[in-house]
Order: sequence, then structure tokens, then C-alpha cells
Amino acid sequence: MLLALVAGCFCWGWTASAITFTATLDRNSIAVGETATLSLTFQDGAPDGTPALPPIDGLDIAYEGPSTQTSFVFNGATTENTSTTTHNFAVTAKKPGTYQIPALSIEINGVRLSSQPLTLTVTGSGAPTAEEMNNGSQVAFVKLVLPKKEMYVGETAVAELQIWLRDDVINFGNLQLPNLTADGFNLGKMSMRPRSRAQAGNRLYTIAPVAITVTAIKSGTLTLGPLTAQMTIVLAFNGQNGDPLQRFFNQGERKDITLNSDTYNVQGLNLPPNAPAGFTGAIGRFQMNVAEGPTTVNAGDPITLHVRIQGSGALDTVKMPDLSGWNGFKIYPASAKTESSDGQGLEGTKTFEEIVTPQNADVRAIPAFSFAYFDPERRQYQTLSQAAVPIVVHAAGALPMPSATTTVKTTDNPAAPADILPVKQDLGPVIATGTPLLLRPGFLAWQSLPVLAFLAALIWRRRTDSLANNPRLRRQRAVVQLVQAGMADLRKFAGENNSEQFFATLFRLLQEQLGERLDCPASAITESVVDDRLATLKAQPATLAALRELFQLCNQARYAPVRDPQELAAVAAKFETAARELQALKV
Amino acid sequence: MNARSLILTCSLAALLMLTAVGRVCAADLNGPFDAANKLYAEGKYAAAADGYEQAIRQAQAAGVASPVLYFNAGNAEFKLGHLGRAIAAYRQAALLTPRDSEVLGNLAFVRNQVQGATVRPSPWQSWVGSLSFNEGTCLTAGFFWLTFILLGLKQIWPALAPRLRGITQIIICATVLSGAVLAVQSYSHFRGQTAVVTDANAMALSGPYKDAVNAFALHDGAELSVLDRHDDWLQVTDGSGRIGWLPGNQLELLPGA
Repeated sequence: MLLALVAGCFCWGWTASAITFTATLDRNSIAVGETATLSLTFQDGAPDGTPALPPIDGLDIAYEGPSTQTSFVFNGATTENTSTTTHNFAVTAKKPGTYQIPALSIEINGVRLSSQPLTLTVTGSGAPTAEEMNNGSQVAFVKLVLPKKEMYVGETAVAELQIWLRDDVINFGNLQLPNLTADGFNLGKMSMRPRSRAQAGNRLYTIAPVAITVTAIKSGTLTLGPLTAQMTIVLAFNGQNGDPLQRFFNQGERKDITLNSDTYNVQGLNLPPNAPAGFTGAIGRFQMNVAEGPTTVNAGDPITLHVRIQGSGALDTVKMPDLSGWNGFKIYPASAKTESSDGQGLEGTKTFEEIVTPQNADVRAIPAFSFAYFDPERRQYQTLSQAAVPIVVHAAGALPMPSATTTVKTTDNPAAPADILPVKQDLGPVIATGTPLLLRPGFLAWQSLPVLAFLAALIWRRRTDSLANNPRLRRQRAVVQLVQAGMADLRKFAGENNSEQFFATLFRLLQEQLGERLDCPASAITESVVDDRLATLKAQPATLAALRELFQLCNQARYAPVRDPQELAAVAAKFETAARELQALKV
Repeated sequence: MNARSLILTCSLAALLMLTAVGRVCAADLNGPFDAANKLYAEGKYAAAADGYEQAIRQAQAAGVASPVLYFNAGNAEFKLGHLGRAIAAYRQAALLTPRDSEVLGNLAFVRNQVQGATVRPSPWQSWVGSLSFNEGTCLTAGFFWLTFILLGLKQIWPALAPRLRGITQIIICATVLSGAVLAVQSYSHFRGQTAVVTDANAMALSGPYKDAVNAFALHDGAELSVLDRHDDWLQVTDGSGRIGWLPGNQLELLPGA
């Protein structure tokens, strides 16, 4: 419904100076549920805070905020500066009537300013009358239906907003519900329900219902509505509504409409006093089923209670019965799961899973407990009781150790025992912590030992094999050792002045050393090889001369063997020098 | 040094290395341990948990750790309903004695009490975890030594080579396998990190700051993988792949992936 624009009701306030105060309404007539804007305008001044408005029965007034505007006017040589501050209020009509917004008086800079009173006329909601709805004259209208005339505080019900569309409406859409006034209700979930058809007068209507969950929050008269629904409908042209072909080929006439519902009053009632113990605010009709298990446990073992509360009422307000008074049990926080069957959360099942553990073997039963709720149909409290359930609790240490703990070795997922095993009484060994072995330098250095040992063995093996495959090298090393040993014998024989043995040994050593160098048998060595073959090895002339002298001394000793020890020692030294020089020759 | 003395030296070195895992006297810990056990037996679980915690700190200050202390602390925390703290204690005990059937049994029992998504070790992680990190290191080192001792013997006594060929191949395979296991353990020990939720009302957030949007709720005892850090906040993921940030005071960090 379109409202006519209303000329502002300007009420110029009196001022002794340039400050002015104006109160205006953007329109002076609105329908129930609609909102008008009240503006308090101050020019060349402003109050310190937000201006206060008195409450007016039938109107909801809400402050929307201030706005400021500054303008400069050049007038020849002078400039006029004008500052305007406006405080806006939203005024929503709750019921029809004529309302007087009284004159407002505000002090600014010590000057009291007043506005003139304003009049706001609130008409009905614009909803069609019952006769208009029933005779089929309306193309579309809305009905607000609540199945109850009385509701208890905290009780939840489903209101239904029915959108009736006559049979000449071939389509509709873009439904918006911008305003639903509710006084004393909390509005909850909205959902579309299946459409149906009904007859009003001699016309058929399609009903598109929208379910709205409402909860009463106070006693007294509660008002739901009016509601404004905006939507786009497509109307059939004349004669089109009965012919499907015409409906198919002709798109009809699009039209944006606004529908207003009437208000719906409900009496809010307080809950009766003397609520039973265990009542936590659940209102509705419920049944309770409880399943528990296992009933033979060890102390400390968990027992699971499945408390299933089923029925109609606000399931959100249903809470797990209080178990805090249970002695001998440890109570864990319960988990809850709600399964709603109506889509609004007002019918269905709420299941609580509560884990309790008996703490000792003296516990004999799961205690009784109860769930209390208020039944609004019977108008009285109801209590659902669960009787005590006997259980058998063994002492934790009395049972044999669970098999899982005695057979677990290194399984990937050891089976869980029935209870934790008791604490250990023996501290056992303590283990040095700190840097892991892998990061300790000493540990890592140790790891090089087997590698080094292997390398040593490998080198030794290579050298051994090399020697075994080289007889000349082997002979060379043997002769070196033989000469070293022979030098000791020579010094010994020299000391003993045993010239016969001395020169015999000397001759043999010369043969062995030269034979090795010349790669020929030692027995084949004579003085002649010194000049014939040794010269080819590029031996020093002094060495060759010394060797000749040594051979000659050996020969002379066969005929004149007696020499003194000093001479023999000098001969031995000469041989040692010659042998060293021979060994240094490259062959 | 001849070959026999070399072998003797290597053997002695191996023996010293294998016995290098320090085990020190526990006399100083017996007092607080017995006192905490007495409190536990009297049903004073909170005081017992404090006693075990104090003994654990004392052991840490001395550079040692006792798996039994962690085990008993886990029992006390479980009796108090602190599933997360109990799991953390049992896991600390399992790190020290990974094949202790009582530790594994209680850990499995408490894990079964935890609700919601949680990160559990995969079968191969459990298999690798059946050896402590130092045990894995010693085992690998032992096979490593045996490998080179056998190779060295073949150099010293070539006549033994045909008879040692089979055992050498087996030991080399064992060295490679244990080395791979050690590599996995090393990655898990040094790079991987898990956390246990110790707060009953933990809520993972979308970012590392208090005003971040709630991401998902976590239950006490849920085990998580740590992905990142930012100041005192940890980015974690649960067993269902969800990722969120938690303040460090709602978690207990543990080594291992």
C-alpha cells in the first residue's frame, strides 16, 4: 500500500538569538507496522548530548543518529556561516490511533528552545477484512495464524504466515518479509511449507505458508503482527486463466504488490510456581528412554548412559538431567545430538550421551534420576523418572591383568585394556637424556674406526699380494735383512779377531748383495762382475773401487788371514758403506 | 699392529660404544617418587600428579629421565580427568621405553576415551617407533661395525671369504635397512612435532591472534600435527585435515611426526 507523501509539519522554535530548533516528521500518517522519521534540527547551535524523547504508548521510537551540515553564503563583503545538526528518530506504529508527539524543550548555551507538538495518525494495517478474504474479491492477501490463544512464558510455537493467491495469479516470486512486528515474542527460524489449495467464495486460491517459530518471553498481552509482505505476482489477462495454452504462450501482467496482515494477540501466562526439582525450563510433551552399559565393570571403567528425550516442544531448551549429586561416580560432560522431524526444532528427539565412571567397588547401582518439564496442555509440571540400575563394580586391582597388556609386544595398535593399569611401585632405571647419540661427536668419531680398520686391512692385503707377485722385490727385502744381520756378525767377528770367519761372511754378503742387484745367483758373483756388469748400473767409481778392494781383501785373507781387530772393523765399515750405496742404485 | 690386534681393538671399541647409553643411579628420585605413590594410593590424585611432576623436573635438572615417573604421572592425570596430560605423559614414557606393554596399554586405553578427530601414528610409524632413537642409532652402528669387521676379515684371511660371503651380504642388507629406519627416525625426531590438547575448551582459530574467527573445536586429548609456529601460537592439523591456530598454553608439545 502506497502511502501519500505528507507535507512536513514545521514548527519553528522560538529563539532569542540566531539559534533555531525544529521538529519535523517526514509524514504525518502511517499504517500500523510502518515507520516514520522524526527529525530534530538545530541551526547555529546543538545540544551537548542526544535529545531525549518521552515514551509514547503505541509507538516505538528508536534513535538513528545525528547528521551535520555547514554552508557558507557570500553576501558582498561579508560571509554568513550556517551550521545545521539534525538528530533522527525512527517512529514505528504498533497500533492504530492518533498520537501526539509533545513539544520538546531543550537548553542550548543557556537558552531554552522549544518545538511545537506534532501529530501522527496511524491507520489500520491495511489488511483486508474477513469478508473481503472470504468472498474471493482479493487477488492476494496474507493471514497470520497461530494455533494458540494462550502461551506460557518460554513456550515455543509455530506461527504460520499464509499467503493466499487467487487462481488468476499464474506466478509469483521475489517474496520479501521486511517487517514483522512482535511484541512479547522472540522470533526464530522461518521456513517455507508445502503449498495447498483452498476455496474462498467462488474462487480457488493457492496457499503458500511460511512457518515462523515464536517463543513467548513475557506475560500479559502479546502481539504478533502486523506483517508486511512484498512480492511480485503475474496476473493472467482476461480469459487466460482457464486455458493452459494461453498460459504457456502468454506471460501475463507483472505486478509488485504489498500485503499487510492483521495483528494477532496472545495471552502470555507465567509458569505455575513450585516447579519440581530437575526442571530446567523444558516446555512441551516429552518421553524419556534410558539405556546404560556395561553393568559389570572395574572401578574407573566408563559406563555410558544414553538418555533419549523424545516429544514436542523446544528441543533446544531440553537439557541433560542433573547428575551432579551422584556419589562415587565421576561424571564427564555429556554430549547431545538433536534430530528434528519437523524442520523447526519443535518435534523430534534429543539424545544425550553421558559417560560416568564408578570410582570404587562400593558402588552398587547407577542412581535414579529424573527429567521434569512443563506440559502446557495439561497446565502442570510432569516428571519422568528413571529407576536405579544395579551394577557390579570390581576393584581395579582385583581382576587379572588385561590380556592386552600382558601380550602386547611391538604391535602397531595394541588392544586397549579394560582399565588403566595401576602405578608402578619401583622407580626402575633412569636413563640419561641430553643430546642423542647420533649428534655426539665422540660417537660419530667412533664410527670411523671400523672404516679405518678395514682400510688398513685392505692396504695390508694389497702390499702382501704385491710382494707375493714380485720375487725380485722379495729378494731385495730379504738381502737387506741379510746384510743387516751380516753386519752384526762382521762386527762380532772383528771384535773376536776371527779373520777367517770375518772374510768368509764378508765374501758371502758381497755375493748376496751384488747378486740381488744384478739379478743373478749369488754363487755366480766374482770380482770380475764389478767391472763387467756393475758399471752398467751407473754405480759411483768410488763404490766400484771399494767393492774391488773388498774382493781383493777377501782373496788375500785366504793366504794371510791374520789381521788386527781395528783393520777388520774398518773393512766392515767400508762394506756397510758400499752395500748402502749399492742398495740405493736403481735397477 | 697386526691383524689380530686390530680386530681386538675394534671389538673393544664396539663394546664400549654399545654400552655408552648412560644409566645413572636413581637414589635421589626415590623420595619424591615414593611420596607421590603414597598420595596416589590415598586417592589424592592432584597432589600425586604434582609430586610426579616435581620428580620429573628434578630428574630433568640432573640430565636423566625415568619412564616410570612419566607412567605414574599419566595415571594420576587420567584419574583427574586430564586426558591430554595423561596421553602426553604416556607418550613421554613410550619414547623412553617404546616396548613397555604397560605404557602402551594405558596409552591405548586413554586414547580410546578421546572424542573427535585426532592424529594417530600410522602402522609404519608405530613399527619404526618400537625402537627408541638411541636404540635405532646403536642398532645401525652395530650393523655398520659388523659390516666393516667382516670386510676386514676377508682382507686379512682371504681363505675365509667364501664362507663369510653369505653372512656379509645379510649384514650389509641389515645395515642398509637399519640405516633407512634411522633416517626416518631422525626426520621424525628432528623435524616432526606433534602436540596434545590439554585444554578441555580448546578452540582452533583461523589465525594466530585472539580475535581470529573460530575454526573448529578440539577435545581434550586430541593429538595434532604441528605445521608452523608464530610467536606463542602453533598452526596444527587434526586427523580430519582441518587446519587452525592454537595458543601454546592449550597444548603440550612432543617430538615425533
